[in-house]
Amino acid sequence: MAAGTRPRRRRAGLSTHKSSFSWGRHRTLLAFLVVVGFAISGLSGVVAYFLPAVTTAFHVTGQATTGKGGRNGTSKGTIQATATPPPPGAPFTVLLLGSDNDAKFVAGQVLTQTMILVRVDPQTHKAVMLSIPRDLWVPIASGGSAKIDAAYLDGGATDAIQTVENNFGISVNYWAWIGLGGLVQLVNQLGGVDVIAQMPILDDQYPYDLTGNNPYANQRIAVLPGPQRLDGVNALTYVRSRHGDILEDIARSQKQQQLLVDIKDAAKHLNLTDIPRIASALGNGVRTDMALTQLSSIAALAKDFSNGGVQQVVMLPPDYSNAVINGQDALAPNWPVINALVAQYFPK
Amino acid sequence: MSPRQLLASLATVGLMALFGFGVWTVLGTLQTRGSNVADPTQQQALVALPGTLVVAQNGSLYSLHGLSFSKLDTAPGNWVQVAPGPSGDLLAVDKGNGYSNVLLLNQQGQTIRTLLSESSTQFFNNHFAYYPRLSSNRQTLFYAWNWVDPSANYNVDFQIQAVPLANPGTTPTQWSIPNYYQGGDVEPLPLSNGGLIYAKYAVNTTTGATYSQLVSVSSPESQLNYLTTPAQNCSEPALNPQATELAMICTDNQTQTSTLQVASWNGSSLGPIRLLSAGPMAAMPTWSPDGKSLVFMDPLKRSYPFQMWWVPNAAGSKPGVPQQVTQNLSLTATSAPVWYP
Repeated sequence: MAAGTRPRRRRAGLSTHKSSFSWGRHRTLLAFLVVVGFAISGLSGVVAYFLPAVTTAFHVTGQATTGKGGRNGTSKGTIQATATPPPPGAPFTVLLLGSDNDAKFVAGQVLTQTMILVRVDPQTHKAVMLSIPRDLWVPIASGGSAKIDAAYLDGGATDAIQTVENNFGISVNYWAWIGLGGLVQLVNQLGGVDVIAQMPILDDQYPYDLTGNNPYANQRIAVLPGPQRLDGVNALTYVRSRHGDILEDIARSQKQQQLLVDIKDAAKHLNLTDIPRIASALGNGVRTDMALTQLSSIAALAKDFSNGGVQQVVMLPPDYSNAVINGQDALAPNWPVINALVAQYFPK
Repeated sequence: MSPRQLLASLATVGLMALFGFGVWTVLGTLQTRGSNVADPTQQQALVALPGTLVVAQNGSLYSLHGLSFSKLDTAPGNWVQVAPGPSGDLLAVDKGNGYSNVLLLNQQGQTIRTLLSESSTQFFNNHFAYYPRLSSNRQTLFYAWNWVDPSANYNVDFQIQAVPLANPGTTPTQWSIPNYYQGGDVEPLPLSNGGLIYAKYAVNTTTGATYSQLVSVSSPESQLNYLTTPAQNCSEPALNPQATELAMICTDNQTQTSTLQVASWNGSSLGPIRLLSAGPMAAMPTWSPDGKSLVFMDPLKRSYPFQMWWVPNAAGSKPGVPQQVTQNLSLTATSAPVWYP
């Protein structure tokens, strides 16, 4: 009996040991699975939160710099991006484009009322903005000469970049385009921007094309001078109105550069969780060839820039002179003076 | 699997799903939008100032007494730019679409009467009337009004004009002649001697620089006496009740910084300037009824909503450090507060 019981006990003992070992492994595995389950669930929450942003950003950012065929059929159309990313840490240049893209225009076939070259030096934390007058009469990449605002209409970002590069001798690394609605949405999504309006803005013939039924109608607007917080519509009004200003487009360029600095300041307060909302709101109002990662890097870089480190430059006579060319009121460039200006602010 | 184990598994899966939803929700709450802008009536001031102040936020008017805000009982509208009325009441601007009217309100915000009605069914008869101010004898209403050049209707500029308060429908007296296509003249500040200080905007067409200068005139359209230089770029004048100290806002357009400055005033010129606040976006100073301290608007940081700040001993040689009065508000920075005893 004793001999019979010992092995049984041993077996029983072994069985208990194996059972507890197996249960321990089972519990460990179960705990591991629960932890993994929670991690996957949490990750799903993160993915669900950022997925709309990534989807939208995919459409908005990383745009190929190709033309659209041009209104004359002369555009280089599918020429690949002339914009080339700079080496890490090196200064880079962005061409910012802005268009009136209201209901008066066929989607995608718009002039660029705004062309601003921005040179950013990550090492010195300094930037320069140079506005190019929209009426500057220059050779266009698609052939012939025209006001420079027609380059985008002719051949999209490709022609706009090539026209700028050919005429100004500046290598453009990135481009970004924004429409009227895009600017309004951007400012609204930032919660408004603080602006010091440099003078009263009064315009009795300001376009009533964003909210009205008739895009050709006008409205009377007033933006009061001094420090204030502007929402998207009023920020657009501030930088778009030109009728009541003796400097017309020059003043408009100054205010656009000012707003860019104000937007930079407002964007400093953003964090990663704001991206989905902003990306969703911008929709088709913004286009750029910069990838999301590059945009993030530039946004991070902008936080280190003080307003004093951002130089704002607009072209004034004698950089150009008023002229009537091909029956159009235009600006005839004074290239020796412009080249000197470019050499000063956009060194190679 | 026993029913108990099944139940436990289902509960665990449910918790996991809840956790994922929780992560999604928490991420949403981390957004920075809005910067905690609150209704003033839900907020307490950080400093109890003597008397009562009236401020504007998001088209409504609020009075601040002690630490508490009350919403004024105004008619529906977009209310901005309050100013002291003739007898403890208020002047205020009601901003419409393409026009703005000036009304006289009682202390509760109810309309006593419309002083300037600039709205019309005819588009070109609409106008903007802003910056209402009463003369020191409280009989004349000064304001900035958008003049439209009849021969060139792109040319629209603010000019200062005045009407009798008792009969504001009479033909206004034009006090200033604005620089064409340069924004114009705003922020009238009537003086006890019958003269006027205001901010005059101008553009240097050679350099492209835009600036404002404070000017004084002794009578309508009389010779300009420049109180500040183009380089100082000052506007938004506010004179203390003793008429000895002038507060103003001066702007550096390059850095987009506006500062609060004070200078002594002898009735014709300004003394040395003292910096009371370096900004970043100081705006619309208003003196206390005793003329010793003042309040102004400024965001807590650049690109934050505007709050009210208080400078004790602002008229003295050693002014105090600005103290934040409000928090979590978004006050209308183009509207100077009214400060009653």
